[in-house]
Amino acid sequence: MNSIISAFSKGIEKSGIDRKKISMPSDVPFTPDVVKALGVDYFQIPRGRAIAFGTGLKLGNPSLRVVPVAGDLMTLGGNHFVHGARRNMELLIICVNSFVYKKIAGKPIPSTQSAFSPYSTFEEPFNFPHLGNSCGAIYTARWTALHTEELADSVAEALHKHGLSVIEVLAPGPNYYTDIDSIELELLKFYHENSTIKNNEDPKNVAIVPDEKIIVGKFTDKERPTFIDSYNVQHSKILGDKFTPHGGKNG
Amino acid sequence: MKASPTDVLTGIYYIDGDVAAGYGALAAGCKLVAGYPITPSTEAFEAMCRRGPQVGTVFIQMEDEFGSISAVLGAVWSGVKSMTITSGPGYSLMMESIGFGAMLETPFVLLNIQRGGPSTGVPTKTGQADMMQSRWGSHGDYELIAISPDSPQEMFDYTIKAFNLAEKYRCPVMIMSDECVGHMTEKVVIPEADKIEIEPRRFYKGPPEEYLPFSPDPDLVPKIAKAGDGLGLYITGRVHDERGYPVKNEEFKAKYVRRLVDKIRLNKDKIIELKEESTDDADVVVVSYGISSRVAVKGVEIARQKGIKVGTLRLVTVWPFPDEKIIDLAKKVKAFVVPEINYGQIVFDVARCCHGQANVVLIPHGGAGVHNPLDISDAIESAAKEDKKIEGVVEFKTRLEKIVFERGLKIKE
Amino acid sequence: MKAKETKMKEIHSAPSKKGEIHPMENLLRMDRMPHIWCPSCGIGLAVTAFASALEKANMDPNMVSIVSGIGCTGRVAGYVKLDSFHTTHGRPIAFGTGIRVANPKIKVVVFSGDGDLIAIGGNHFIHAARRNIDMLVVCVNNFIYAMTGGQVAPTTPLAAYATTSPYGCVEPPFNIPYIADSSGAVYVARWTTLHVRRLINSLAEALQKKGFSVVEVISPCGMYYSRINKLGDGLDMMKFYHDNVEIRHGEDTKNLDIGFQTKIICGKFVDRERPSYMERYNQWLSGVKGGSRDEG
Repeated sequence: MNSIISAFSKGIEKSGIDRKKISMPSDVPFTPDVVKALGVDYFQIPRGRAIAFGTGLKLGNPSLRVVPVAGDLMTLGGNHFVHGARRNMELLIICVNSFVYKKIAGKPIPSTQSAFSPYSTFEEPFNFPHLGNSCGAIYTARWTALHTEELADSVAEALHKHGLSVIEVLAPGPNYYTDIDSIELELLKFYHENSTIKNNEDPKNVAIVPDEKIIVGKFTDKERPTFIDSYNVQHSKILGDKFTPHGGKNG
Repeated sequence: MKASPTDVLTGIYYIDGDVAAGYGALAAGCKLVAGYPITPSTEAFEAMCRRGPQVGTVFIQMEDEFGSISAVLGAVWSGVKSMTITSGPGYSLMMESIGFGAMLETPFVLLNIQRGGPSTGVPTKTGQADMMQSRWGSHGDYELIAISPDSPQEMFDYTIKAFNLAEKYRCPVMIMSDECVGHMTEKVVIPEADKIEIEPRRFYKGPPEEYLPFSPDPDLVPKIAKAGDGLGLYITGRVHDERGYPVKNEEFKAKYVRRLVDKIRLNKDKIIELKEESTDDADVVVVSYGISSRVAVKGVEIARQKGIKVGTLRLVTVWPFPDEKIIDLAKKVKAFVVPEINYGQIVFDVARCCHGQANVVLIPHGGAGVHNPLDISDAIESAAKEDKKIEGVVEFKTRLEKIVFERGLKIKE
Repeated sequence: MKAKETKMKEIHSAPSKKGEIHPMENLLRMDRMPHIWCPSCGIGLAVTAFASALEKANMDPNMVSIVSGIGCTGRVAGYVKLDSFHTTHGRPIAFGTGIRVANPKIKVVVFSGDGDLIAIGGNHFIHAARRNIDMLVVCVNNFIYAMTGGQVAPTTPLAAYATTSPYGCVEPPFNIPYIADSSGAVYVARWTTLHVRRLINSLAEALQKKGFSVVEVISPCGMYYSRINKLGDGLDMMKFYHDNVEIRHGEDTKNLDIGFQTKIICGKFVDRERPSYMERYNQWLSGVKGGSRDEG
């Protein structure tokens, strides 16, 4: 997890965006020193509501850069995600996808019940970049805890996008391990051996399937009018002078 | 400070309660409204959608009620006044986030146009059965403010007051209206902007390094900040100390959760608003709120014509509950009569405060309609005649109940 | 007007003559007729198509449960003579999942509207599709929240008017077949209430399909959508469908967007196989415990 935070911080640095303007609603419990190090405004919100809260933040003050970091994006937050993507709310969603990593008979095996893991007992996970893209997200990417440089670049790029961007990050969740150092190394090795970078791949094909390589990369990058743009254009058309465009220029 | 002239639609109107509340919110300076259509509150949201873009208020119809309330909280933390509008089923969905708002001491207004319940209930007709839920709906200890207007004019006036109370005490404020008042069309006078008092948000203005988000002022309310000001906010729904950092042990919890509760309890005298009439020498006092208080006016009039000394106590502020007033009146009167459009909610708080010193009569109503004034006057009469002290809450058998249960309900062919 | 009302009352209350029964009577709750839907509404057509499809697919009505949510289409459960459940807003799919998983012998049909299923119920929709819960979802899409008075829906086209978009809708709409397809639904089709015969065939096919099937039915709403947007009444909308619908089976679902008064592409788009939720569950259970639940 720490590598993700530092990659995120590096990404903010690279983007040149003022840290003070970045707000991070999240259901991941970051500790105060991490937030201080990042230098952003942090809101720990109830599970799944990061995107809805972020929508409020952005609409209330369009000059803010809102980065919901969602630990639980698709279970409680699924509805907010698909609708946020449809509206193209200007948010950068960083979704941390952690596989619970157990030791079974001495051999480390990733397994989990989450909506994401291909190793889940009997449910297929979401092909998350594909769902996001089909709902209207303009920037989709996936990286792992190993690909910190690429993740920082992705964050830097996405912070300048006008619309809903989503970066899925495969990382070990901090809460599940007692033996964190050795497991982290194991997991990084796992990512190294089992992932392959395929930029611009069609998101339809990037489902995480057991026994196949995990495809990472930047998948889609397009433009679409954001919610606030659409709101301003439509209302100016009908109301003319009586309407003052909300937020002026976006960010 | 005074309201902004662009926000206020000064004039004399003939509008319904929902629309009046919407205009009140805009006059109070609400800059974001996030809602979800639910009968009978939709008209308020629609009115704000029509007028909002003309006064710089953004509206967004979210995908569900969870989204609406979360967006409202986010908007408040980005620095603007915000509101959501809902009814029974949506209110239940919003409960987690209302608790979250109370914990974060987020000032926002929630307009609940109560309808017949429980569950889907009777969406198009009135009810007052969410009153306890407005106080205790979310998990954990917290206190908030709930107001019950009884006319479209009050919907306008008290929506503005709700925003003011929210900013002053940094807590959620519920406007517990009902379908009857929401859909009632009456004359509403909207005054000039300079006659409307608006409570500005108490932002922290000192040096960033000294900022403590939850360090209270003498009135137990901390100054608020907003995202994007370089204060490095750490805002969490977990129990937190002055810096906003999570804490776990019982000493801290005693300090910080206590203040959330005390903030409202110790400021009760400044928050509670009541409308009292002829209670000094009354034998019976009718305690009511919302639409029931208007129906009670007629009931009281009939009772007075029979020579009974009746006083009325209208709870404009329902929560925090006016314990002291009830305790005080209980020493002087024979009985309290409480007409409510539910099977007993506020009446239990009245009984609690009586300590057995006065009788308490409940006039229940299942919803989808209002009380019959004759029931209210009959209940007042029988309460005035009752000299025995009866423990607990006595339920008055209304004419409607007699029809339904004694004579039997015929199912229409 | 008075004479017409009296005539309608006569028709509805007249005892049926011997041998003369309405062809749908065994599948409709005749004691609740007349229904509440407005003149110009297309939901009734969707219901009769569904009733015909049940017969065509030879389904045992005792083993079919119909679950609806809140809204105009949500009232369907109340008029169909099956085990009907009128649930809370947005939850029919979750409710139906419970029925299906607990008793795999029951075929679950979720019959609800675009607002109920895709707005508040969006989360349940995508998860049930992902899990491939065996159920048929009939989504009647009238582009608006009609029951509550004409508010904007996630399917309302850009720039169309609704009471909560008084200056035109600012949000691009969902393309229901696309979201169903990308979440993993195994059968996805779209028809309008004009194409009744094709709709009946589609529904009959979907009823017999194992897995999460979605049939979108485009319907006119004469009281709100077409009135607010000055598109005429139900008949004008049907004429619009007649002139502007293109049938393209197997079309890629990402090309099925519906704009304001633009061409509508109908057809059967997706028909594939995927192991259903119960199949996977049984596989897992037999691996872990050596047992299995009854597969319906």
